[in-house]
Amino acid sequence: MNGKKPVGLTIDGLKVQAAEGTNVLRAAEQAGVTIPHFCFHAGLDVEGSCRMCLVEIEGLPKLELACSTIIREGMIVRTSTDRVREARKDVLEFLLAEHPLDCPICDKAGECRLQDYYDLHGLYASRMVEPRERRDKKVPIGRGLILDRERCVLCTRCVRFLRLVTGTGELGMFERSLRSEVGIYDGRPVDNNYSGNLVDICPVGAITAEDFRFKTRAWFLVRRPSICPHCSRGCAVIIESVEGYPLRRSEKRVYRVTARENPAVNGFWICDVGRDGRHDIDDGRHAAVSEKGAPVQGLSWEKALAGVAAAIRSVPGPERAGKIAVVLNARLTCEELALAKGLFVTGLGLDKVFFADRKPGPADSLLLTSDRVPNAKGVRDAGFTPRLPALGELAGAEVLLVFGSYILEHFGEEDVARALAGVPSKYLFAAHTGPLDRLVDAVFPVAHPAEKSGTYINTEGVRQSFARAVRPCPAVVAEGAILACLANSLGISLGDADVR
Amino acid sequence: MPENGFRLLPLDDDSWRLEAYLRRGGYETARKVLTSMAPEAVIAEVRKASLRGRGGAGFPAGVKWGFVPKGVSGPKYLCVNSDEAEPGTFKDRLVLLRAPHQLLEGMLITAFAVGIRTAFIYVRGEYALVARRLEEAIVEARSAGYIGPRLFGTDLSLDVVVHLGAGAYICGEETALLESLEGRRGMPRVRPPFPAVVGLFRSPTVINNVETLATVPQILARGADSFLSRGLPKDGGTRLYCVSGAVRRPGTYELAVGTPLREIIEVHAGGTPEGKGLKAVIPGGLSAPVLLPGEIDIPMDVDSLARAGSMLGSAGIVVIPEGTPMLDVLHATARFYAHESCGKCTPCRIGTSWILKIVGRLRRDGGRPADFDLILRLADGIKGKTLCPLGEGAAMPIQALVTKFRGELERAVAR
Amino acid sequence: MSYAPAPAALRKIEETIALYPEKSAALLPVLHIIQEGSGFISPEAESWAAAKLGILPVRVREVVSFYTMFRRAPAGRSTLQVCHNVSCALAGAEDILRFISEKLGIAPGETTPDGAISLVTVECLGHCDNAPCLQFDGVDHGPATRESVAALIEELKAHA
Repeated sequence: MNGKKPVGLTIDGLKVQAAEGTNVLRAAEQAGVTIPHFCFHAGLDVEGSCRMCLVEIEGLPKLELACSTIIREGMIVRTSTDRVREARKDVLEFLLAEHPLDCPICDKAGECRLQDYYDLHGLYASRMVEPRERRDKKVPIGRGLILDRERCVLCTRCVRFLRLVTGTGELGMFERSLRSEVGIYDGRPVDNNYSGNLVDICPVGAITAEDFRFKTRAWFLVRRPSICPHCSRGCAVIIESVEGYPLRRSEKRVYRVTARENPAVNGFWICDVGRDGRHDIDDGRHAAVSEKGAPVQGLSWEKALAGVAAAIRSVPGPERAGKIAVVLNARLTCEELALAKGLFVTGLGLDKVFFADRKPGPADSLLLTSDRVPNAKGVRDAGFTPRLPALGELAGAEVLLVFGSYILEHFGEEDVARALAGVPSKYLFAAHTGPLDRLVDAVFPVAHPAEKSGTYINTEGVRQSFARAVRPCPAVVAEGAILACLANSLGISLGDADVR
Repeated sequence: MPENGFRLLPLDDDSWRLEAYLRRGGYETARKVLTSMAPEAVIAEVRKASLRGRGGAGFPAGVKWGFVPKGVSGPKYLCVNSDEAEPGTFKDRLVLLRAPHQLLEGMLITAFAVGIRTAFIYVRGEYALVARRLEEAIVEARSAGYIGPRLFGTDLSLDVVVHLGAGAYICGEETALLESLEGRRGMPRVRPPFPAVVGLFRSPTVINNVETLATVPQILARGADSFLSRGLPKDGGTRLYCVSGAVRRPGTYELAVGTPLREIIEVHAGGTPEGKGLKAVIPGGLSAPVLLPGEIDIPMDVDSLARAGSMLGSAGIVVIPEGTPMLDVLHATARFYAHESCGKCTPCRIGTSWILKIVGRLRRDGGRPADFDLILRLADGIKGKTLCPLGEGAAMPIQALVTKFRGELERAVAR
Repeated sequence: MSYAPAPAALRKIEETIALYPEKSAALLPVLHIIQEGSGFISPEAESWAAAKLGILPVRVREVVSFYTMFRRAPAGRSTLQVCHNVSCALAGAEDILRFISEKLGIAPGETTPDGAISLVTVECLGHCDNAPCLQFDGVDHGPATRESVAALIEELKAHA
């Protein structure tokens, strides 16, 4: 309970214990009792305006808000009495009276609280025959977000998020009474690295992302947890992809990356860099082994890897340290780094084991770190002292294995081409196509972190394991499998490798 | 003239000045209180006097002051609620115009009782010219040392700032008033915490209506028992009753709490004009459920009206004559609340406008009995579920009009 | 086109800000002073007020759009605010409103073409014992009759 005194109360007959200072809504959630709500969000301040979470509290004459009532010892809460059910129906009826029947064209369908609550708490015949308020339905508010004012239920989550979490306050609430509406100030659209969270937190389809509008349906999406690989915060994310029954035959599988709650790392939010990173999973991917820059259909990576093993074997043992160079990266998982250490350092006794990664960028005050790699700490934890090679160190090698194309972020393409020209056997293990492809002998299509399982250690030393969230294309292989297979071919036992 | 000899409102428009106020003993009570009484004793006396808030809620003032936590460091504030906007109410305007020094003296005593050094007077924006006289009175008081530092030679001080609203009935609600004073939209806050603990600028704050505070000096001048020689044991003293509508003498009447409504209308306000009968009476501002002619033999005090299913509210009595189409009254009522709803909470924001849309349609195109059933049902949907009392303030008078005049309303919309 | 208050207004604004423990609390009085000077509150004035009080312009717009007394566009030199709530309605406010509307040739919510007079309906002005009542330039006028209103309109037009 984080050092807070536990408080005992009764919710729907269940004896519940929760930390002092918890509100009834959260205490109920923890006990498995869901109380419907729109405006409350645990990451924001209490608003108390939607009135959907009204519950009965013994001893109090009126229904009380679960979101703003703090639990007290001995409190008796009832969330399903007739009075509570009637109140929910009333609130729903009010909301739906001024809500457009957009479900057939609204992206939120299938994950919309109004829909869900109507199924659970409504089921009445509408009595609204008066004309509804007509409002703007496609207001761009910045960062590819579209506001539909007819759908908005004025929960103010978006306004409060921008005021409290990002501190940028771009959205405001204008006018009064039923004319109230959310909007931006002229010429000052939403413009911060956390704008995507607005779509996550909007309980209805009022705020949608251009990136997602009309592309698929929520019920087609498979949602699996993963860890964002775009910086070293390691935010918990959900990869949402379509499997098996695509609406369009396309290579795109991942439609959305959304935030997953993790109090120890990212709280409730993720940044737009991570969200936009979903394109990385599908765009510009290698889908087959390629040789001399051209994909070779039907060539399996195991077969192609035999050539790599042969090249390594052709360098006499005592000369390997100086003549075989490897460039790794900090996108590899802890398990893969352990395998790499066991294979290249312990097994082959190589000296020239380098690291090339994405360059750091500006950090922000919330989640985004300046390190733009997910496992920098993991690299050190595996016992490596990462160092970017000088091109001369690569040029003199006889066999070169490069994992990831990040070397091009540090050196010009022509300089790299010149350095690699004199290397007899050179192989690239990369997820995305790029200029390096035609400079090497063969490219192995490797997995994106979303397509593999493993462990990352984030900037604060938190170890996070993740499982594959998206099925890779058939030819794609995780670096770990390549390293294990290579070790096997070379007769190197990785039994000592510490795979935690 | 009230029997206890104390009148809140001078009958003329010239006695408001400091020099006239001093001649009638003005500021002597404040001097006595600040230099020789203990704050707790002041609160006790006001509690004993059963002074109930004259803004609309009728909450006992002495009890409210007692909610402010003792021994807490940091500033505390007094907010004077002069946002008088309940339709049918115009008494606070007169207090500001004719008894501004009474108000200031009441503020001095109240601030002393609770340990406050800064007061804001929130005056509705439409009273800007009225506020000018208040400002003049404050200048007079400040020059004479009755406002400012070292009051009556003590270490006590009181700063007073007049703050104008800008057209929002909702700002009469305490927490919405605080929001407005802090420079924001006038939207009520979630309670708890209550203003006495977390109020203006997050500090303990007392909010009282203008008339309530202006009544405080007389309690401390003559004592609670003398105050209670008029009025009722649980609702003491005299208060200002506003009468408007179809009466010969519309105006403000300072009478003992509990004076029967019929007496106020017929004796003091002269009754309905020649040839006009009485159809209905709104007893306490538009939010108070309407009373029928047979229901006006009722004492005008907070508890009696609550028992009768209505409320004393702001004591804004509106007399509706025979011949008035109640559909029009219903429409004006629905229109008011839809216009004044702040828009924060779901039931009020949508419910008040939905009801107005129905009533508007009925007036324009006619309708059926089921439409009135729906209005009643929607009003029930609002009641008990809103963030602030404007919800009940809208729902209850609408339900009373529809219930008590159902027959007439149905006939009016039948086509 | 940027906004700047006249020197006297600026002085008043600064004195007013000093009365509050937090600058942003002075927003309503500052907006009143701005509107007194310009007749309405322009987007440039909003930005000016925001900068002066250390808040975002959107916060100023939120307030301006909430309160009915703040105008976001120029209105007539005088605005006739006619109450249509219950006591005034009982005393004939609808008739007065119709009379004014016909006389000026505008509907409630509109301004005369010469820019002299705007007409709006308002809720209770707190002057019910003088119903039907209206307010113009902060002055309460009631009980209003067709004659008194006709005279008032002539006077307002003369000073326009």
